[in-house]
Amino acid sequence: MKREEIAERVIKVTARELKKSPEEIKESDRFSYELGADSLKSIELVAAFEEEFDLDLDEDEALKVQTVGSAIDFFAGLLPE
Amino acid sequence: MKEYPLQDIAEPNLLKDIFPYSLPPLIKFEAPIKEMIDGKEIVFDPTEVLNRDIHITDTTFRDGQQARPPYEKEQMVKIYEMMSRLGGPNGIIRQTEFFLYTQNDRDTLDACRNLGLRYPEITGWIRASIADFRFVKEMQLKETGMLTSCSDYHIFHKQKQTRQQAMDQYIEVVETALENGIRPRCHLEDVTRADMDGFVIPFVQRLERLTENQPDHLKVKIRLCDTMGYGISYPNVALPRSIPKLIYRMKEDCGVSADRLEWHGHNDFHKVHINGSTAWIYGIDALNATLFGFGERTGNPPMESAVIEYVSLKGDLNGVDLSVITELAQYYEKEIGANIPTNYPFVGKDFNTTRAGIHAGGLRRDEEIYNIFDTTALLNRPPKVAITDKSGTDGVAMWVNNFLGLTGKDQLTVMKVAKIQRWVMDQYEKEGRLTSISDKEMEEQVAKHFPDLYAKVKK
Repeated sequence: MKREEIAERVIKVTARELKKSPEEIKESDRFSYELGADSLKSIELVAAFEEEFDLDLDEDEALKVQTVGSAIDFFAGLLPE
Repeated sequence: MKEYPLQDIAEPNLLKDIFPYSLPPLIKFEAPIKEMIDGKEIVFDPTEVLNRDIHITDTTFRDGQQARPPYEKEQMVKIYEMMSRLGGPNGIIRQTEFFLYTQNDRDTLDACRNLGLRYPEITGWIRASIADFRFVKEMQLKETGMLTSCSDYHIFHKQKQTRQQAMDQYIEVVETALENGIRPRCHLEDVTRADMDGFVIPFVQRLERLTENQPDHLKVKIRLCDTMGYGISYPNVALPRSIPKLIYRMKEDCGVSADRLEWHGHNDFHKVHINGSTAWIYGIDALNATLFGFGERTGNPPMESAVIEYVSLKGDLNGVDLSVITELAQYYEKEIGANIPTNYPFVGKDFNTTRAGIHAGGLRRDEEIYNIFDTTALLNRPPKVAITDKSGTDGVAMWVNNFLGLTGKDQLTVMKVAKIQRWVMDQYEKEGRLTSISDKEMEEQVAKHFPDLYAKVKK
């Protein structure tokens, strides 16, 4: 899967879960700061990513991801091209 | 000041020589203890406790029973049998004591004796009166405790005696015991509020003279009774409250050996456990305790704490079976109807339960982070989590995985249980709940969100 497609899907899921418009979201945005996700919301977001990409993620690795951009890179590293 | 540079090591230092986890944490002494007594520096060697025969004696059926409704005979027999298993074949719970006044008392003693168990040895407890001593003789006991109150509060105000009259009365019973081949154990009631030089030391010296030519199994024993919980463990405290000095004076001024000294405490100032273990360290072999600390007023040294302290000091189980502590607690709550506070160490329902998400998170990664020792293996009590609005998704994940029996890589992640955590938070944030989430409610959530896994558990 190309990075652009992954980015689009990450931003779509993020916008839905965090109730933002996709246009507001930048790759440098931190989930817990600029996007305002609390602890539970961050976990729900990762759960939503699992569903979106049909993956079972390693909890510790997934929860280390801090920004939208690093999330895109994270999934780019997991999903076949 | 010495400079300490950071040691940025590759592997964690878990201090396993002190915290093996397979045992309660160990107590390692590094140097002798020095105290000033009567102007002289006295050295105590705490490492001697490794080689001395420290042990526990029980007063559950005496002091413990004074403080609560009477046990039924069958209950006492069952408790006696469990205490024997707890203390193990080496008799770490060495003796117990019984009232002898009623037929029920005596029948119960016989029922315990008829089990034929070596430990705990059965002894009596009487007031220091000839009339009471008759019961000891009739029951053919080998040893009896006798209440030899030693503070002027007791001698003058309770017993309405002079010191001479009190001593003479006590000595009469001791002599009678010796004449009958029965070992006397003198309980110095209220010793931490007594005049040491004016009564206690003269009395104990007289006892020693009486028994100095007796064979070892008849030499008088001395129980130091901190009746009101006034005893202090700190160094360099004045008598009569200083536990170290009390013990020192018994040994040095009276010649009582460690194997004939016993400590009996009360918890009126929350010091009961530490005072008891202090007595061990400063040279007393026997620590008198009751199950779960039930005893007069605020209670006595809890036996389960004493057993665990024993293991920590000795670095070895030496045959004790700590899981019987859990068995006894369950028996007390279910069969006897006793109320053990939920946060009571080692036995309370929640003694190793966390409600904090950050603690649950730690437990999920490594149980040793937030569990005091391997309570699963030693006490048959795995660490648990209870769910509130503070438990976080880590708490919920731990609860769900424990319930489903999932371990290692099979465990559900926090992402998988996020829906249950959302339900929990909604209870508090939307519904305004103020109570904990019950296990039943959590089970319902598991059934709803993980029906297949739930069905496997319920099969």
